[in-house]
Amino acid sequence: MAVDQTLAVTGTRATPRRRWRLPHDWRGQTGMAIALILGAVVMLAPFLWMVATSLSRKANVSMPRTPSLWPPDPSLFNYFIASDNLPIVRLYLNSLLVVGVTTGGYLLFSSLAGYAFAKGRFPGKSVLFIAFLATLFIPFETRMIPLYLFMGQLHLTNSYGALILPFLAGGFGTFLMRQTIAGIPDELIEAARIDGASELRIFFQIVLPLCKPTLATLAILNVIWRWNDVLWPLLVTSNRDLFTVTQGLAMAGRSQGIYTGVALATAVMAILPVVVAYLFLQRYVIRSVVSSGVKG
Amino acid sequence: MKPESAPSSLGSGFLLSRLRRAFRGTLVWYGFLAAPLFLIMVFVGYPTFLAFQQSVYTETPAGDVFAGTFHFQRLFSSQVFWGALGNTVLLGVAFLAIILPLATIFASMLNRLRRGATPLKVIYFLPQLTSSVAVAIMFNYVFQPDWGLLNGVLRSLGISQLPLWLADPRLSLTGSRAAVTLLAVWAGLGYFIIVILAGLQSIPTDLYDAAAIDGASPLQSWVHITLPSLRPTFIFLIMTGTVDALSRFGDLWTLGGPGGSPARSLQSVVMYMFQQGFESNDFSLSAATAVVFFVIVLVISAISFWGFLRREFKAIR
Repeated sequence: MAVDQTLAVTGTRATPRRRWRLPHDWRGQTGMAIALILGAVVMLAPFLWMVATSLSRKANVSMPRTPSLWPPDPSLFNYFIASDNLPIVRLYLNSLLVVGVTTGGYLLFSSLAGYAFAKGRFPGKSVLFIAFLATLFIPFETRMIPLYLFMGQLHLTNSYGALILPFLAGGFGTFLMRQTIAGIPDELIEAARIDGASELRIFFQIVLPLCKPTLATLAILNVIWRWNDVLWPLLVTSNRDLFTVTQGLAMAGRSQGIYTGVALATAVMAILPVVVAYLFLQRYVIRSVVSSGVKG
Repeated sequence: MKPESAPSSLGSGFLLSRLRRAFRGTLVWYGFLAAPLFLIMVFVGYPTFLAFQQSVYTETPAGDVFAGTFHFQRLFSSQVFWGALGNTVLLGVAFLAIILPLATIFASMLNRLRRGATPLKVIYFLPQLTSSVAVAIMFNYVFQPDWGLLNGVLRSLGISQLPLWLADPRLSLTGSRAAVTLLAVWAGLGYFIIVILAGLQSIPTDLYDAAAIDGASPLQSWVHITLPSLRPTFIFLIMTGTVDALSRFGDLWTLGGPGGSPARSLQSVVMYMFQQGFESNDFSLSAATAVVFFVIVLVISAISFWGFLRREFKAIR
């Protein structure tokens, strides 16, 4: 950068008339920009085509052989039908409740355990920590059918409890919180202890505020995981009143598939709020997903 | 656990203060751990134990009967299981073979682009935020043979023999498996690009300066500096990508149902497990599949941990 600037300065001094010229690598830059924009068009085209089709009433009867990114007959008809077929508001409230409670619980329980493992001194600590870490190596799919049967024994199938309880605590969050809290200086906690603060107060008023960035990362990841999960809701709830957005979309996608416009309107309603939230939070979202190295 | 519950007959003041100190020193940590530990034991440990137990027992009206390796023998002699495992591996390998070079090229270009990289990154990453179910519904229509977006574009390019995509269960470059691989590449590209970008930005620039002084062309330094420096990133992506590909479910279920139609060409291992346990109520067979799945994932995790992550963590510290 600095070299470029000096060159530019000397360049202007030598030929004062030439204020601006093409950078020496303009060919490369233009070529890359074209390739990347083409790629971005490929990424966006299915979304745009979906929105355009969802706004066309005719799409349910016959589709134009040449795809169009603009509906020939713009109307919200499909959206009215889709929200008649599927209690979309209810689905959203369900998703918000399930995702909200699981995320709150996940943050709290991960921090509690992470604090104990980072700063505590007690017998059995390393064994318990290894037990927590071991859960990282147990894929959810391994235990899903027994867990589903177990939920039946607890009479919890078709309840919010079944959607929430299995995801309140986890090895990944505990590990991440332990790493973060271990970075907090002991002196800080010791000073508060000498001042007579209770352990709970130290945890809530000193430790947690210092972990805000990690908590935000964990919250974003957990929201993505829980919002997009479909496997567990499919197993454990069959009552339409308890469907999450993703589950409702999956069921509707399989049943109303022949009505292209309606099916795509349903999909748009399920995706749009997430996309809007993402556009506002994209920097944090991308950073969270990359820094943790786990995908949604 | 409360200090007040101590017997107060002998020197209660002394005992109380000792207990209080012990409480602060040790017991309080068990208090912090109690709730998370309980949740993990009940909802992670117990069901995992049940999966292993159920795989060697058979459910009968009179109770569970020990079955030894019977269910594993059933599993390994099942064509459907091998088909599902084969699909899962094939889809995973094809996915990685396409997405890694593609993402590397795109990330390298984004890294060198001076303007506009951020909005492009946001666009590439967008499908990552869309649930696999929504992506599958969208692509169900994108791949529609007569009027779908993809065939429409191919037709306007002058191609007359249009592929059937999802409707064609054969093992071909234009069949259902190819379609869901394209779908996965489209959905995962942004994540791979962002991770590779992070890897690119951690390569020290003096390596490139030295190469430039030695007269290396940009392409030469890309091949001899960039690609070797990205090795840890590639290994990381291959390992995590393999585990993700093994547990693929949502999009394939939405497109093909639990059976992975057409003709089971889209059935993954997890879908097989789901179908045996949830639809056929064959819990022992499902549990045996779960155990096999667990072992496969454990082996991959162990390789990635011992062979790669440990060294990387040391390098960072």
